[in-house]
Amino acid sequence: MPKSIWNGTISFGLAHVPIKLYSATESKTVSFREVHLSDGAPIEHRRLCSEEGKEVPYKEVVKGYEVSEGEYVVLEKDEVKAAAGARGKVIEIEDFVPGDDIDPIFVEKTYYVGCRDDGDAYKVFQAALEETGRVGIGRFTFHDREYLAAVRPLDGVLALHTLRFHDEIVDAGDLEVTIPRKGPSKQEAKMAEQLVDSLHEDFDPTDYEDTYREAVLDLIDRKAKGKKIERPEFEEREETDDLAAALKASLKGRKS
Amino acid sequence: MPRPLWNGSLSFGLVNVPVQLTSGTRDLDLHFRQLHKKDGAPIEQRRYCSQDEVEVDWEEIGRGFELDDGKQVVLTDEELASVQPEKTRTIDVQAFVDLEDVDPIYFDNTWFLVPAGDSQGTRRAYRLLVEVMESTQRAALGRFVMRTKEYLVLVRPRDGLLSLTTMRFHDEVRPTDGIAPGGRKPAKDKIEQAVAVIESLGTDWDPERYTDCYRERLKRVVEEKKKGKKIKAPTEPKEPKPAPDLMEALQATLERMGSGKGGGNGKGKAKGGRRQKAGAKS
Repeated sequence: MPKSIWNGTISFGLAHVPIKLYSATESKTVSFREVHLSDGAPIEHRRLCSEEGKEVPYKEVVKGYEVSEGEYVVLEKDEVKAAAGARGKVIEIEDFVPGDDIDPIFVEKTYYVGCRDDGDAYKVFQAALEETGRVGIGRFTFHDREYLAAVRPLDGVLALHTLRFHDEIVDAGDLEVTIPRKGPSKQEAKMAEQLVDSLHEDFDPTDYEDTYREAVLDLIDRKAKGKKIERPEFEEREETDDLAAALKASLKGRKS
Repeated sequence: MPRPLWNGSLSFGLVNVPVQLTSGTRDLDLHFRQLHKKDGAPIEQRRYCSQDEVEVDWEEIGRGFELDDGKQVVLTDEELASVQPEKTRTIDVQAFVDLEDVDPIYFDNTWFLVPAGDSQGTRRAYRLLVEVMESTQRAALGRFVMRTKEYLVLVRPRDGLLSLTTMRFHDEVRPTDGIAPGGRKPAKDKIEQAVAVIESLGTDWDPERYTDCYRERLKRVVEEKKKGKKIKAPTEPKEPKPAPDLMEALQATLERMGSGKGGGNGKGKAKGGRRQKAGAKS
Protein backbone atom coordinates (compact mmCIF):
# COMPACT_ATOMS: atom_id res chain seq x y z
CA MET A 1 0.00 0.00 0.00
CA PRO A 2 1.57 3.31 -1.01
CA LYS A 3 1.91 5.99 1.66
CA SER A 4 0.03 9.21 1.15
CA ILE A 5 1.92 12.50 1.52
CA TRP A 6 -0.95 14.98 1.78
CA ASN A 7 -4.63 14.96 2.67
CA GLY A 8 -6.97 17.62 1.37
CA THR A 9 -9.97 18.52 -0.72
CA ILE A 10 -10.38 19.35 -4.38
CA SER A 11 -13.16 21.91 -4.84
CA PHE A 12 -14.86 22.80 -8.07
CA GLY A 13 -17.80 25.11 -7.76
CA LEU A 14 -19.66 24.05 -4.62
CA ALA A 15 -18.66 20.41 -4.93
CA HIS A 16 -15.88 19.11 -2.69
CA VAL A 17 -13.88 15.96 -3.25
CA PRO A 18 -11.87 14.63 -0.26
CA ILE A 19 -8.57 13.26 -1.54
CA LYS A 20 -5.13 11.94 -0.65
CA LEU A 21 -1.94 12.62 -2.62
CA TYR A 22 0.75 10.07 -3.39
CA SER A 23 4.09 10.39 -5.17
CA ALA A 24 3.75 9.05 -8.70
CA THR A 25 7.46 8.83 -9.43
CA GLU A 26 10.61 7.68 -7.73
CA SER A 27 14.22 7.90 -8.78
CA LYS A 28 16.04 4.60 -9.33
CA THR A 29 19.44 6.18 -9.87
CA VAL A 30 22.22 4.36 -8.03
CA SER A 31 23.00 6.66 -5.14
CA PHE A 32 26.29 6.98 -3.33
CA ARG A 33 27.32 8.67 -0.17
CA GLU A 34 30.28 10.97 0.16
CA VAL A 35 33.26 9.32 1.82
CA HIS A 36 36.80 10.37 2.64
CA LEU A 37 39.01 8.65 0.04
CA SER A 38 41.91 8.10 2.46
CA ASP A 39 39.98 6.16 5.10
CA GLY A 40 36.53 5.51 3.65
CA ALA A 41 34.83 7.28 6.55
CA PRO A 42 31.54 9.07 5.78
CA ILE A 43 31.72 12.81 5.16
CA GLU A 44 29.64 15.06 7.39
CA HIS A 45 28.32 18.40 6.33
CA ARG A 46 28.78 20.88 9.12
CA ARG A 47 27.36 24.34 9.46
CA LEU A 48 29.95 26.94 10.42
CA CYS A 49 29.34 30.55 11.26
CA SER A 50 31.34 32.55 8.69
CA GLU A 51 32.14 35.14 11.36
CA GLU A 52 33.17 32.97 14.30
CA GLY A 53 34.37 29.93 12.38
CA LYS A 54 32.55 27.75 14.90
CA GLU A 55 30.00 25.03 14.32
CA VAL A 56 26.38 26.21 14.64
CA PRO A 57 23.61 23.90 15.89
CA TYR A 58 20.54 23.76 13.67
CA LYS A 59 18.31 25.56 16.17
CA GLU A 60 20.51 28.64 15.91
CA VAL A 61 20.04 28.87 12.14
CA VAL A 62 17.57 31.33 10.60
CA LYS A 63 16.55 32.01 7.01
CA GLY A 64 17.70 35.28 5.45
CA TYR A 65 16.94 36.92 2.14
CA GLU A 66 19.70 39.08 0.68
CA VAL A 67 18.12 42.47 -0.16
CA SER A 68 21.43 44.12 -1.07
CA GLU A 69 24.99 42.88 -0.89
CA GLY A 70 25.64 41.54 2.58
CA GLU A 71 22.32 42.85 3.92
CA TYR A 72 19.85 40.17 4.91
CA VAL A 73 16.24 40.30 5.99
CA VAL A 74 15.55 37.46 8.39
CA LEU A 75 12.25 35.64 7.99
CA GLU A 76 10.75 33.45 10.69
CA LYS A 77 8.93 30.28 9.77
CA ASP A 78 5.57 31.93 10.40
CA GLU A 79 6.46 34.77 8.06
CA VAL A 80 7.26 32.37 5.25
CA LYS A 81 3.91 30.73 6.04
CA ALA A 82 2.24 34.11 5.55
CA ALA A 83 3.50 34.11 1.96
CA ALA A 84 2.21 30.60 1.39
CA GLY A 85 -1.29 32.05 1.57
CA ALA A 86 -4.47 31.00 3.25
CA ARG A 87 -5.59 28.13 1.11
CA GLY A 88 -5.29 25.55 3.81
CA LYS A 89 -5.96 22.08 2.57
CA VAL A 90 -7.98 23.00 -0.49
CA ILE A 91 -7.13 22.68 -4.14
CA GLU A 92 -9.61 25.06 -5.66
CA ILE A 93 -10.10 24.49 -9.38
CA GLU A 94 -10.29 27.86 -11.14
CA ASP A 95 -10.61 26.77 -14.75
CA PHE A 96 -11.02 23.70 -16.88
CA VAL A 97 -8.86 23.72 -20.01
CA PRO A 98 -8.42 21.25 -22.89
CA GLY A 99 -5.90 18.71 -21.60
CA ASP A 100 -4.04 18.37 -24.88
CA ASP A 101 -3.26 22.08 -25.01
CA ILE A 102 -0.88 22.13 -22.06
CA ASP A 103 2.61 21.60 -23.39
CA PRO A 104 4.38 19.04 -21.20
CA ILE A 105 7.17 21.61 -20.74
CA PHE A 106 4.96 23.09 -18.00
CA VAL A 107 4.80 19.86 -16.04
CA GLU A 108 7.06 19.76 -13.03
CA LYS A 109 6.13 16.87 -10.72
CA THR A 110 3.34 14.33 -10.80
CA TYR A 111 1.28 12.94 -7.94
CA TYR A 112 -1.51 10.42 -7.87
CA VAL A 113 -4.77 11.52 -6.29
CA GLY A 114 -6.70 8.88 -4.35
CA CYS A 115 -10.23 8.96 -2.97
CA ARG A 116 -10.45 9.57 0.81
CA ASP A 117 -14.07 8.71 1.66
CA ASP A 118 -16.91 6.51 0.46
CA GLY A 119 -18.86 9.32 -1.19
CA ASP A 120 -19.21 9.33 -4.96
CA ALA A 121 -17.81 12.83 -5.61
CA TYR A 122 -14.39 11.49 -6.60
CA LYS A 123 -15.76 9.10 -9.16
CA VAL A 124 -18.18 11.69 -10.54
CA PHE A 125 -15.36 14.21 -10.94
CA GLN A 126 -13.04 11.65 -12.53
CA ALA A 127 -15.67 10.40 -14.98
CA ALA A 128 -16.74 13.94 -15.91
CA LEU A 129 -13.16 15.02 -16.59
CA GLU A 130 -12.65 11.97 -18.77
CA GLU A 131 -15.78 12.76 -20.72
CA THR A 132 -14.89 16.41 -21.37
CA GLY A 133 -11.20 15.88 -22.16
CA ARG A 134 -10.50 18.82 -19.91
CA VAL A 135 -8.16 19.17 -16.95
CA GLY A 136 -8.76 21.31 -13.88
CA ILE A 137 -6.33 24.14 -13.16
CA GLY A 138 -6.02 25.26 -9.56
CA ARG A 139 -3.59 26.20 -6.84
CA PHE A 140 -2.61 24.42 -3.71
CA THR A 141 -0.25 24.82 -0.80
CA PHE A 142 2.22 22.10 -0.03
CA HIS A 143 5.13 22.39 2.43
CA ASP A 144 4.50 26.10 2.96
CA ARG A 145 4.54 27.09 -0.66
CA GLU A 146 1.87 27.55 -3.25
CA TYR A 147 1.84 25.63 -6.51
CA LEU A 148 -0.11 25.86 -9.73
CA ALA A 149 -1.55 22.43 -10.46
CA ALA A 150 -3.40 20.53 -13.16
CA VAL A 151 -5.76 17.72 -12.16
CA ARG A 152 -6.54 15.12 -14.81
CA PRO A 153 -7.84 11.59 -15.16
CA LEU A 154 -5.20 8.89 -15.57
CA ASP A 155 -5.51 5.15 -15.60
CA GLY A 156 -8.86 5.05 -13.74
CA VAL A 157 -7.77 7.49 -11.03
CA LEU A 158 -6.80 11.16 -10.92
CA ALA A 159 -3.32 12.60 -11.29
CA LEU A 160 -2.06 16.02 -10.26
CA HIS A 161 0.81 17.75 -12.05
CA THR A 162 2.46 20.76 -10.46
CA LEU A 163 3.02 23.30 -13.23
CA ARG A 164 5.69 25.88 -13.96
CA PHE A 165 4.60 29.47 -14.36
CA HIS A 166 4.80 31.02 -17.82
CA ASP A 167 7.69 33.31 -16.90
CA GLU A 168 9.72 30.29 -15.84
CA ILE A 169 9.77 29.01 -19.41
CA VAL A 170 12.65 30.29 -21.57
CA ASP A 171 11.67 31.39 -25.08
CA ALA A 172 13.78 30.49 -28.08
CA GLY A 173 14.04 34.23 -28.74
CA ASP A 174 15.89 34.68 -25.43
CA LEU A 175 18.80 32.72 -26.89
CA GLU A 176 21.03 34.10 -29.59
CA VAL A 177 21.34 31.25 -32.01
CA THR A 178 22.07 31.62 -35.68
CA ILE A 179 20.45 29.07 -37.89
CA PRO A 180 21.48 29.18 -41.55
CA ARG A 181 18.97 30.97 -43.68
CA LYS A 182 19.32 28.48 -46.49
CA GLY A 183 17.11 25.50 -45.78
CA PRO A 184 17.81 21.92 -46.72
CA SER A 185 17.31 20.90 -50.32
CA LYS A 186 14.16 19.07 -51.34
CA GLN A 187 16.19 15.92 -51.78
CA GLU A 188 17.68 16.18 -48.28
CA ALA A 189 14.29 16.88 -46.72
CA LYS A 190 12.81 13.88 -48.51
CA MET A 191 15.57 11.55 -47.36
CA ALA A 192 15.28 12.83 -43.81
CA GLU A 193 11.52 12.22 -43.84
CA GLN A 194 12.07 8.68 -45.10
CA LEU A 195 14.54 8.12 -42.30
CA VAL A 196 12.08 9.45 -39.70
CA ASP A 197 9.37 7.19 -41.10
CA SER A 198 11.61 4.14 -41.03
CA LEU A 199 12.42 4.83 -37.37
CA HIS A 200 8.81 5.57 -36.38
CA GLU A 201 7.47 3.54 -33.47
CA ASP A 202 4.54 3.63 -31.10
CA PHE A 203 5.88 4.82 -27.78
CA ASP A 204 6.12 1.99 -25.28
CA PRO A 205 8.08 3.07 -22.21
CA THR A 206 8.92 -0.54 -21.31
CA ASP A 207 11.01 -0.78 -24.50
CA TYR A 208 13.63 1.40 -22.82
CA GLU A 209 15.57 0.18 -19.82
CA ASP A 210 18.12 2.23 -17.93
CA THR A 211 21.17 0.18 -18.94
CA TYR A 212 23.52 2.72 -17.40
CA ARG A 213 22.14 1.95 -13.93
CA GLU A 214 23.00 -1.72 -14.48
CA ALA A 215 26.45 -0.79 -15.75
CA VAL A 216 27.15 1.27 -12.61
CA LEU A 217 26.12 -1.68 -10.41
CA ASP A 218 28.40 -3.89 -12.50
CA LEU A 219 31.26 -1.43 -11.99
CA ILE A 220 30.68 -1.57 -8.21
CA ASP A 221 30.79 -5.35 -8.42
CA ARG A 222 34.07 -5.35 -10.36
CA LYS A 223 35.63 -2.89 -7.96
CA ALA A 224 34.49 -5.01 -4.99
CA LYS A 225 36.28 -7.99 -6.54
CA GLY A 226 39.45 -5.94 -6.70
CA LYS A 227 39.54 -5.59 -10.47
CA LYS A 228 41.29 -2.66 -12.06
CA ILE A 229 38.94 -0.10 -13.51
CA GLU A 230 39.93 1.45 -16.80
CA ARG A 231 38.20 3.92 -18.97
CA PRO A 232 37.41 2.27 -22.30
CA GLU A 233 38.54 4.01 -25.43
CA PHE A 234 35.90 5.14 -27.81
CA GLU A 235 35.92 7.11 -30.98
CA GLU A 236 34.26 10.47 -30.98
CA ARG A 237 31.87 10.67 -33.86
CA GLU A 238 32.81 13.14 -36.52
CA GLU A 239 30.47 15.94 -37.27
CA THR A 240 28.59 15.66 -40.51
CA ASP A 241 29.95 17.77 -43.29
CA ASP A 242 28.24 16.26 -46.29
CA LEU A 243 24.61 16.13 -45.20
CA ALA A 244 23.19 14.52 -48.33
CA ALA A 245 25.79 11.74 -48.29
CA ALA A 246 25.19 11.02 -44.59
CA LEU A 247 21.43 10.82 -45.14
CA LYS A 248 21.86 8.54 -48.12
CA ALA A 249 24.16 6.21 -46.20
CA SER A 250 21.76 6.17 -43.24
CA LEU A 251 18.84 5.18 -45.45
CA LYS A 252 20.89 2.46 -47.09
CA GLY A 253 21.83 1.17 -43.65
CA ARG A 254 18.16 0.98 -42.63
CA LYS A 255 17.12 -0.93 -45.71
CA SER A 256 19.78 -3.62 -45.72
CA MET B 1 23.83 33.08 -24.25
CA PRO B 2 24.05 31.27 -20.91
CA ARG B 3 26.85 28.81 -20.29
CA PRO B 4 26.13 25.38 -21.83
CA LEU B 5 25.38 22.62 -19.33
CA TRP B 6 26.47 19.86 -21.63
CA ASN B 7 28.42 19.56 -24.87
CA GLY B 8 28.16 16.68 -27.27
CA SER B 9 26.48 15.59 -30.42
CA LEU B 10 23.05 14.57 -31.53
CA SER B 11 23.12 11.47 -33.73
CA PHE B 12 20.40 10.56 -36.13
CA GLY B 13 21.27 7.73 -38.49
CA LEU B 14 24.76 8.62 -39.67
CA VAL B 15 24.14 12.32 -39.26
CA ASN B 16 26.01 13.86 -36.33
CA VAL B 17 25.26 17.36 -35.18
CA PRO B 18 27.40 18.99 -32.48
CA VAL B 19 25.07 20.53 -29.92
CA GLN B 20 25.04 22.22 -26.53
CA LEU B 21 22.40 22.05 -23.83
CA THR B 22 21.13 25.24 -22.22
CA SER B 23 18.27 25.68 -19.79
CA GLY B 24 14.75 25.73 -21.15
CA THR B 25 13.32 26.89 -17.85
CA ARG B 26 14.44 29.43 -15.30
CA ASP B 27 14.23 29.35 -11.55
CA LEU B 28 12.49 32.52 -10.35
CA ASP B 29 12.08 31.36 -6.76
CA LEU B 30 13.37 33.57 -3.98
CA HIS B 31 16.34 31.86 -2.46
CA PHE B 32 17.20 32.17 1.19
CA ARG B 33 20.48 31.86 2.89
CA GLN B 34 21.10 30.21 6.23
CA LEU B 35 22.27 32.73 8.82
CA HIS B 36 23.54 32.44 12.36
CA LYS B 37 20.74 33.80 14.52
CA LYS B 38 23.10 35.36 17.06
CA ASP B 39 25.17 37.56 14.74
CA GLY B 40 23.36 37.34 11.40
CA ALA B 41 26.50 36.03 9.71
CA PRO B 42 25.99 33.62 6.78
CA ILE B 43 26.40 29.93 7.52
CA GLU B 44 28.96 28.02 5.52
CA GLN B 45 28.61 24.34 4.79
CA ARG B 46 31.90 22.49 5.15
CA ARG B 47 32.75 18.86 4.66
CA TYR B 48 34.40 17.02 7.53
CA CYS B 49 35.65 13.48 7.83
CA SER B 50 33.55 11.83 10.52
CA GLN B 51 36.61 9.85 11.66
CA ASP B 52 39.54 12.27 11.65
CA GLU B 53 37.64 15.47 12.49
CA VAL B 54 39.44 17.29 9.67
CA GLU B 55 38.02 19.37 6.90
CA VAL B 56 38.08 17.51 3.58
CA ASP B 57 38.66 19.05 0.16
CA TRP B 58 36.43 18.10 -2.72
CA GLU B 59 39.28 16.20 -4.45
CA GLU B 60 39.61 13.89 -1.45
CA ILE B 61 36.00 12.77 -1.60
CA GLY B 62 34.91 9.48 -3.12
CA ARG B 63 31.57 7.83 -3.65
CA GLY B 64 30.73 5.09 -1.21
CA PHE B 65 28.29 2.30 -1.96
CA GLU B 66 27.21 -0.16 0.67
CA LEU B 67 27.01 -3.80 -0.44
CA ASP B 68 24.43 -6.26 0.90
CA ASP B 69 26.98 -7.73 3.31
CA GLY B 70 27.57 -4.31 4.86
CA LYS B 71 30.96 -3.83 3.22
CA GLN B 72 31.60 -0.59 1.42
CA VAL B 73 32.95 -0.07 -2.09
CA VAL B 74 34.46 3.33 -2.82
CA LEU B 75 34.61 4.69 -6.36
CA THR B 76 36.46 7.73 -7.59
CA ASP B 77 34.87 10.09 -10.10
CA GLU B 78 37.29 8.81 -12.77
CA GLU B 79 36.22 5.23 -12.17
CA LEU B 80 32.59 6.21 -12.42
CA ALA B 81 33.34 8.07 -15.65
CA SER B 82 34.50 4.77 -17.17
CA VAL B 83 30.89 3.60 -17.42
CA GLN B 84 29.62 3.85 -20.99
CA PRO B 85 31.64 7.00 -21.76
CA GLU B 86 30.31 7.28 -25.31
CA LYS B 87 26.85 7.91 -23.87
CA THR B 88 28.14 10.98 -22.08
CA ARG B 89 29.11 12.48 -25.44
CA THR B 90 26.29 11.48 -27.77
CA ILE B 91 22.52 11.68 -27.74
CA ASP B 92 21.57 8.72 -29.88
CA VAL B 93 18.20 8.98 -31.57
CA GLN B 94 16.65 5.52 -31.46
CA ALA B 95 13.13 6.12 -32.69
CA PHE B 96 10.64 8.77 -33.68
CA VAL B 97 7.35 8.85 -31.80
CA ASP B 98 4.17 10.89 -31.65
CA LEU B 99 4.28 13.40 -28.81
CA GLU B 100 0.70 12.69 -27.74
CA ASP B 101 1.67 9.06 -27.08
CA VAL B 102 4.04 10.16 -24.34
CA ASP B 103 2.26 10.83 -21.07
CA PRO B 104 3.53 13.98 -19.30
CA ILE B 105 4.10 11.84 -16.21
CA TYR B 106 7.39 10.80 -17.87
CA PHE B 107 8.57 14.39 -18.31
CA ASP B 108 11.29 15.72 -16.09
CA ASN B 109 13.14 18.84 -17.23
CA THR B 110 13.28 20.72 -20.50
CA TRP B 111 16.34 22.24 -22.14
CA PHE B 112 17.25 23.82 -25.43
CA LEU B 113 19.57 21.96 -27.73
CA VAL B 114 21.48 24.54 -29.77
CA PRO B 115 23.91 23.90 -32.65
CA ALA B 116 27.55 24.06 -31.59
CA GLY B 117 29.61 23.24 -34.67
CA ASP B 118 30.91 25.92 -36.98
CA SER B 119 30.65 24.05 -40.23
CA GLN B 120 27.84 24.92 -42.57
CA GLY B 121 27.11 21.19 -42.87
CA THR B 122 26.23 20.77 -39.21
CA ARG B 123 24.20 23.96 -39.05
CA ARG B 124 22.21 22.82 -42.06
CA ALA B 125 21.79 19.38 -40.52
CA TYR B 126 20.39 21.04 -37.38
CA ARG B 127 17.93 23.05 -39.42
CA LEU B 128 16.98 19.93 -41.36
CA LEU B 129 16.18 18.12 -38.10
CA VAL B 130 13.97 20.98 -36.95
CA GLU B 131 12.14 21.05 -40.26
CA VAL B 132 11.68 17.33 -40.67
CA MET B 133 10.25 16.99 -37.17
CA GLU B 134 7.94 19.92 -37.81
CA SER B 135 6.67 18.47 -41.08
CA THR B 136 6.27 14.91 -39.79
CA GLN B 137 4.90 16.09 -36.39
CA ARG B 138 7.14 13.61 -34.66
CA ALA B 139 9.55 13.78 -31.77
CA ALA B 140 12.88 11.98 -31.56
CA LEU B 141 13.41 9.55 -28.70
CA GLY B 142 17.00 9.09 -27.60
CA ARG B 143 19.18 8.58 -24.59
CA PHE B 144 22.34 10.01 -23.08
CA VAL B 145 24.21 10.32 -19.82
CA MET B 146 24.58 13.59 -17.94
CA ARG B 147 26.13 13.93 -14.49
CA THR B 148 26.30 10.16 -13.93
CA LYS B 149 22.66 9.53 -14.72
CA GLU B 150 21.21 8.13 -17.87
CA TYR B 151 18.17 9.85 -19.33
CA LEU B 152 15.65 8.85 -21.88
CA VAL B 153 15.05 12.07 -23.80
CA LEU B 154 12.55 13.49 -26.19
CA VAL B 155 13.87 15.95 -28.76
CA ARG B 156 11.38 18.10 -30.62
CA PRO B 157 11.19 21.46 -32.35
CA ARG B 158 10.30 24.55 -30.38
CA ASP B 159 10.16 27.97 -32.02
CA GLY B 160 12.68 27.05 -34.70
CA LEU B 161 15.13 25.41 -32.30
CA LEU B 162 15.31 21.92 -30.83
CA SER B 163 14.21 21.31 -27.27
CA LEU B 164 15.25 18.32 -25.21
CA THR B 165 13.15 16.93 -22.39
CA THR B 166 14.65 14.47 -19.96
CA MET B 167 12.25 11.65 -19.12
CA ARG B 168 11.82 9.10 -16.39
CA PHE B 169 12.30 5.42 -17.13
CA HIS B 170 9.20 3.24 -16.94
CA ASP B 171 10.23 1.71 -13.62
CA GLU B 172 10.56 5.20 -12.11
CA VAL B 173 6.85 5.79 -12.60
CA ARG B 174 4.86 3.99 -9.94
CA PRO B 175 1.86 1.86 -10.80
CA THR B 176 -1.55 3.20 -9.75
CA ASP B 177 -2.22 0.01 -7.74
CA GLY B 178 -3.43 0.86 -4.27
CA ILE B 179 -4.62 4.37 -5.20
CA ALA B 180 -8.29 4.37 -4.12
CA PRO B 181 -10.39 5.00 -7.23
CA GLY B 182 -13.64 5.79 -5.39
CA GLY B 183 -16.71 3.60 -5.38
CA ARG B 184 -18.66 2.16 -8.26
CA LYS B 185 -19.56 4.04 -11.38
CA PRO B 186 -21.97 6.79 -10.37
CA ALA B 187 -25.35 7.49 -11.92
CA LYS B 188 -25.31 9.05 -15.37
CA ASP B 189 -27.18 12.19 -14.37
CA LYS B 190 -24.57 13.04 -11.76
CA ILE B 191 -21.76 12.76 -14.28
CA GLU B 192 -23.76 14.85 -16.74
CA GLN B 193 -24.26 17.53 -14.13
CA ALA B 194 -20.53 17.56 -13.31
CA VAL B 195 -19.74 17.75 -17.04
CA ALA B 196 -21.99 20.82 -17.24
CA VAL B 197 -20.13 22.45 -14.34
CA ILE B 198 -16.77 21.66 -15.96
CA GLU B 199 -17.90 23.10 -19.29
CA SER B 200 -19.23 26.22 -17.61
CA LEU B 201 -15.80 26.78 -16.07
CA GLY B 202 -14.15 25.84 -19.38
CA THR B 203 -11.68 28.16 -21.02
CA ASP B 204 -8.63 27.98 -23.28
CA TRP B 205 -5.26 27.19 -21.78
CA ASP B 206 -3.49 30.50 -21.44
CA PRO B 207 -0.47 30.16 -19.15
CA GLU B 208 -0.14 33.94 -18.81
CA ARG B 209 -3.34 34.06 -16.80
CA TYR B 210 -1.56 32.45 -13.90
CA THR B 211 1.09 34.35 -12.01
CA ASP B 212 3.13 33.04 -9.15
CA CYS B 213 1.33 34.69 -6.24
CA TYR B 214 3.58 32.93 -3.76
CA ARG B 215 6.67 34.59 -5.21
CA GLU B 216 4.92 37.99 -5.13
CA ARG B 217 3.71 37.56 -1.57
CA LEU B 218 7.10 36.40 -0.38
CA LYS B 219 8.69 39.53 -1.92
CA ARG B 220 6.11 41.64 -0.09
CA VAL B 221 6.76 39.88 3.20
CA VAL B 222 10.50 40.58 2.77
CA GLU B 223 9.78 44.26 2.00
CA GLU B 224 7.54 44.69 5.02
CA LYS B 225 9.92 42.92 7.31
CA LYS B 226 12.71 45.18 6.05
CA LYS B 227 10.61 48.15 7.14
CA GLY B 228 10.36 46.57 10.56
CA LYS B 229 6.75 45.45 10.34
CA LYS B 230 5.51 42.39 12.09
CA ILE B 231 4.03 39.70 9.91
CA LYS B 232 1.59 37.14 11.14
CA ALA B 233 0.77 33.85 9.48
CA PRO B 234 -2.84 33.70 8.34
CA THR B 235 -5.07 31.27 10.16
CA GLU B 236 -5.79 28.26 8.06
CA PRO B 237 -9.33 28.14 6.78
CA LYS B 238 -11.37 25.10 7.65
CA GLU B 239 -11.34 22.33 5.12
CA PRO B 240 -14.74 22.23 3.40
CA LYS B 241 -16.80 19.10 3.93
CA PRO B 242 -18.26 17.29 0.98
CA ALA B 243 -21.89 18.20 0.43
CA PRO B 244 -24.31 15.52 1.66
CA ASP B 245 -26.08 15.75 -1.68
CA LEU B 246 -23.66 16.06 -4.59
CA MET B 247 -26.44 16.63 -7.13
CA GLU B 248 -27.66 19.62 -5.16
CA ALA B 249 -24.16 21.08 -4.89
CA LEU B 250 -23.61 20.72 -8.63
CA GLN B 251 -27.00 22.22 -9.37
CA ALA B 252 -26.33 25.17 -7.05
CA THR B 253 -22.94 25.70 -8.74
CA LEU B 254 -24.56 25.81 -12.15
CA GLU B 255 -27.17 28.28 -10.96
CA ARG B 256 -24.48 30.50 -9.53
CA MET B 257 -22.53 30.36 -12.81
CA GLY B 258 -25.64 31.05 -14.82
CA SER B 259 -26.38 34.19 -12.86
CA GLY B 260 -22.83 35.33 -13.47
CA LYS B 261 -21.83 35.39 -9.82
CA GLY B 262 -19.44 32.52 -10.00
CA GLY B 263 -16.93 34.14 -12.30
CA GLY B 264 -17.69 31.61 -15.01
CA ASN B 265 -18.29 32.66 -18.57
CA GLY B 266 -21.99 32.09 -18.57
CA LYS B 267 -21.89 28.83 -20.43
CA GLY B 268 -23.49 27.06 -17.52
CA LYS B 269 -26.86 26.86 -19.13
CA ALA B 270 -25.55 25.54 -22.41
CA LYS B 271 -25.76 21.84 -21.79
CA GLY B 272 -24.27 19.45 -24.24
CA GLY B 273 -21.42 21.79 -25.09
CA ARG B 274 -18.93 19.02 -24.70
CA ARG B 275 -15.45 19.37 -26.11
CA GLN B 276 -16.27 22.75 -27.50
CA LYS B 277 -13.63 25.34 -26.92
CA ALA B 278 -14.96 28.03 -24.68
CA GLY B 279 -13.82 31.54 -25.44
CA ALA B 280 -10.94 32.77 -23.33
CA LYS B 281 -11.88 34.87 -20.38
CA SER B 282 -9.83 37.96 -19.96
